[in-house]
Parts: sequence; structure tokens; C-alpha cells
Amino acid sequence: MNRRHFLRQSALISAGALLLPPALLEACRKKSADEDIGFGGKVLIIGAGAAGLYAGYILRSKGIDFEILEASSAYGGRVGKINGFADFPLDTGAQWLHGKNNILGDLIAKTQTEITLDDSAEFFWFNNQITGTLPDDIEAIFLREDNVPDVSFKDFAVQEGFGNEYADIVEGIAGDSGAAASRISAYWKIQEEAAWNSGDDDFKFRGTYFDFIDTNIAAQVKDRIQLNTIVSKIDYSQSSVVVTDSNNNTYTADKVIVTVPVTILKAGDIEFVPALTQEKTDAFAKIGMDAGMKVFLKFSSAFYHQNIIGGNTCGAYADEIIGKTGSDHVLLAFIMGEQAERLTALGSDSAITSALLQELDTMYSGQATASFIGSQVINWTTHPFIRGAYSYSTVGMGNARETAAQPVDKKIFFAGEAMNYNGNHQTVFGAVETGYREVINILNSVKK
Amino acid sequence: MKKLIAAFVLLLFCRCSFALENKLELSYTYLYSGQWDKAIQAYNFSRPFLANQQPLFMNGLNASASHIFKPHKVFSYGITVSYLYFRSSVKNENFLNTLNLHFADIGWLVHFENTEKPDGFYSELAFSAVSSGLFRTVNRKSFRYDGARAKAFGIGGDIHLKAGYEFSAKNNFFISPFAALGYTPFLFSPNTEGVINQTTGLTGRRWTGIVQVQAGIALHWKKET
Repeated sequence: MNRRHFLRQSALISAGALLLPPALLEACRKKSADEDIGFGGKVLIIGAGAAGLYAGYILRSKGIDFEILEASSAYGGRVGKINGFADFPLDTGAQWLHGKNNILGDLIAKTQTEITLDDSAEFFWFNNQITGTLPDDIEAIFLREDNVPDVSFKDFAVQEGFGNEYADIVEGIAGDSGAAASRISAYWKIQEEAAWNSGDDDFKFRGTYFDFIDTNIAAQVKDRIQLNTIVSKIDYSQSSVVVTDSNNNTYTADKVIVTVPVTILKAGDIEFVPALTQEKTDAFAKIGMDAGMKVFLKFSSAFYHQNIIGGNTCGAYADEIIGKTGSDHVLLAFIMGEQAERLTALGSDSAITSALLQELDTMYSGQATASFIGSQVINWTTHPFIRGAYSYSTVGMGNARETAAQPVDKKIFFAGEAMNYNGNHQTVFGAVETGYREVINILNSVKK
Repeated sequence: MKKLIAAFVLLLFCRCSFALENKLELSYTYLYSGQWDKAIQAYNFSRPFLANQQPLFMNGLNASASHIFKPHKVFSYGITVSYLYFRSSVKNENFLNTLNLHFADIGWLVHFENTEKPDGFYSELAFSAVSSGLFRTVNRKSFRYDGARAKAFGIGGDIHLKAGYEFSAKNNFFISPFAALGYTPFLFSPNTEGVINQTTGLTGRRWTGIVQVQAGIALHWKKET
């Protein structure tokens, strides 16, 4: 090869490489996780909460046949709303978007949904008075990254020298994670915080979380939802999976995604045939999910602070008007864990309301009862197909979420906020992530 | 770190008195990164509300400069710095999502050419430290949350093998087409998935291997001493 020949050849090769159409190169690498995977089967989704709805949305977008079986008379799971109680709609379940670096943040941007930053001020009920600051920063110990033992919030606070006067504050902090302070693990909570990537700012929807999910996700799959269908048995012993409901109707599918709350799995309300392994049921048992309720209290005047943490009856109160457009004065009592259990035990909505008014009267010198108009109690604990607030990590949790979420026999897949082991459990977007994760797992299970 | 940089600069200037070749390169770079592909694939899979899919990091530009100390030996040595840029951008209704990926390398190279019987061919083997930065913009604005820009930084090591053929253009000025193959066995960039797919540990590992294929043109200035 002479020099001229080489130069000509190398120039041609270089030009060829430079001009090689990107489309040709791109054709060699798939852009999406589902390319080249053919699946002509049917998928049954148990539960029409955020995870189930989103799994359905993904399946529809991939042209895969599916059906969603929902036990209750409405879809949305722990996302819901009520109109008419105030002159703005109220979120009965999930309310805050915790950070916007998540899939729903993208959907919000794309759909130009209006959200507002909740930067309301935090106050504490401490030593029988309302204060903006505590003598010692107890919240900081739950954000510490090292030397945190696997003990409960309650025990950890005591170990760190916080006395009984902080007990209700600790309960309020634990309640933010949907748990009783005596049950949630300080160690695992901090591990989860380390994986948290969505951001620390909280946002509220100008409308409701439900409207957002309904318009943008549920609308895509509504025609495939069968309400009032209580699944009682999932038989995966044969090549197809046979699902039986409480009326003995059967549904056959190739794959099933179970998205019910972990309380339902823990209670064994769904019989699996063959039975799930002990390891699996132990994992369900380790995932905590405590009682939880939201009580909306309507007043003739806003005598209260924007947020009050540390009540003995209710760990956290929040002004509902933040981020909304309206003129009614509604205070949300956000009650979790043992406090929710105690209030539930009172047996009636009026008794629950009275207990809360009594506490607010103590805080605000009788102004609560004097200006009280009405209340709306949303008790998720007594909801037959929810039975709690949202999942949290118990002491000794380990990798229970990951174990619980593992598919069974390439036929049964688990989704829902409790099955999110990437730090985003307790959130709607965390549930959504598990919805699409399990569709990916289904497609991977049929990959040849 | 400051001491290390000072020592490097001192070495560079001290050896400049013996410097015989400087080289500037511009090349097209084809990139393959398994973990980042997975993150983008998951992003595309999981967002059916975005009709147009996010491209993979694939086609980029590389600019590099090398300084070779003894090119009249069969084996000579030098230092090299380079910058690579990749962009993944897609427009959907109300949503223009762009990922900008930058690499900066600094390394040491072995240059081989037959100085006994010059035939124009040369080859190089370079070992570099790599740093990377990934940033996201949405609708042409930096994507920010909690008051900070969404970002993922990475660090790793790279090995590059390059072959070219130089021909004289004018006096001590040479031009060479070249092709190169680069391999980064380990680039630790823990937040990359967090920027691309907005998740942590869902799509893959916190580190990736990278393969690069490059083709481009180098300009050489040779100085006799």
C-alpha cells in the first residue's frame, strides 16, 4: 500500500465513520426496556391504586391485554378527594407531592398541572404552649447518618437524652412516616432517607392529587377496571394463573400483579395456591403499616397556626388552605400510629371530633369549639380494603421489602408503595415506580 | 490535591524544554455505556405520556490535546487532556428534556512510531483519570429541586488505544486521521440514575463501564531540538 492509497482509504474510512447515520447506530441499541420482547398473554392486576393504575397504563401503552380487579367501589386506592365540605376540594388520602424529582414531577411538567410549594411554618405544642422552636433540635437526630442503632424512634430519642416532655413531638415526627414512634426504626428510616432522591420540598396540587391521577393515569385504563371485585384466591399451580373472587367468579391470566396494601397480604385475605414461602410471609409481616386517619375540621375563623406538631391526641395539625384557592377555614388533623388507634377505639366520628376539639381548645383557649362548624373523618384504618395509612420500616426490618417484592414463579408480581425498596415507599410516585417495575419484570420473565 | 496539581504543572513545564511534539485532536465519538442505557431505557419505558423517546448517549464530540516529550524515540511518553460532550435531547408537547453529559480526562500516554524508518504510522496507549458531569434541563432551563441543579458527578479510569497515520502538511506541521478505542472499566457516578430516571437503584448499578470508538483528525506540531 503506498502513501497516497493509504491516505485515500483512511480519509474514506474516517468520513464513513463520521457520517454513519445515527439512526443506523441507534438501531443496534434499543431505546426502551421493552423492545424486542414479545408478550401476547394477559395480565391481571389486583388493586386499582396508583401502582395498579400505572401498571395498567404501561401495559396499554405496550399493547398488552390486561384487566384491573378492584375490591372497593372506587379506584384510586389511598388517593381520593371530597367535594362540598369546603369551598375547595380536599385530599382524603395522599396530599403532598414529596419533591419533584420523580416520575410524577415529569408528568406534572408535561401536563402543566399547577402545584405550589408548601413552605408553611412549623410550630410545636411543647410544655403546654405553642412555640416556634424547641429547646433542643430533636428532628436533627432522625436525620443523622451515623451511629444510629436499629431501635424505635421512641427509644432512640430517649437514648439521645430527650425526656418525656418530647414524647408527643417524637410521636408527631413518627406520624409523618405513618407510624407509631414505638414501632418505626430509626436506623432503617435513615437508610431510606439516604436513598431518597426526589427532593425535600413538599408541594400541593391546586386541585387534588386524585384529580391529577384521575385525569392523567386512570383515564387511560378506566375501561379495564372492574370494581367491587374482592379477590380471595390466586392459584398459580398450573401454567395459567386462576384468580377467584368472593363471588366465586374466576379470571384467568398468564401473569398477575398484586398491588393490594401490605395489610391485606399480612392478614392472609388472599389465599395463594401453592402457599407463599415462609420467607415471603415473614417479609410481609416485617413491613409495618399502622392505623391512620385524616380529620378535616371546619371553623369560622383561622385561629390556628399553619402547622402544629406535638399534640397528645393528634401529632400533627396542618392548615388545609395552604396551596389551595378558597376562603373556608379548614384544619387537617393528621393522625397516625397509636394516636389513630386510640381515636378509632372511640367508636364514632363525633367522638373523634370531640377529642380533637378538646385538644385544640387547650392549645387555643377554647377557640376551637367556639368557632367549630363541622368535621369530616376519613379513617383509613377502618377501610376494609386498606386498613391503615402507609408502610414504614419496623425495627429489624432488614431487606424485607425486597424479599416481599420478589416475583413468585415468574407468574405473581408484587407492586404498591410497600413494595418499593428504593427508598420511595409511602409515596404515590413510589407506588407508580413499582407499577412499571413489575411490568418490566413480567417482560423479562418471558424473554427468551 | 493542590500539591498533586502543582507537581504535575511543574513536571509539564520542566519537560517543555525537551518537548518535541504537540497534538490537537478533534473526533467523533461513539459511546456505549450499559448502565446509562438501562436508565434511559427505563425512562422511555416508564413514561408513556411522552410520545417521543429520549435518545441514548451515543454520538458525541471529543477534543483533546497531547504533549509528547521524546518523539524521536520508538517509544516516547506524554500527557494528554481531553474533553468529550454528549447530548440526549427530545421534544415532547410542553416538555423538552435534555441531558448533557461531559467528560474531562487527564492522563499519561505512550506513543509509538518507527523513528528508524518513518512510515507515518503511529499508535498510542493512554491511561487517564476520568471525571464526568451529567446535567438535566427541562424546557431549556436547568432542572432544579431543593434549590439546586440536578446533577451527577462521576470519577473513574480509562484506557485508550489509538492508531493514526500522519503526513506532512507544512514544515513541522502534520495532519493525521486516526481511530481510537477507549474503555472505561469503572466510572463511579452514583446519582446518574437519579438524574436520568429519577430513581435510585431501580434500573441498575451506581457505576458503569464505558466503551468509546473514535474517529477523527489530529494536528501535530513537531519541534526539533
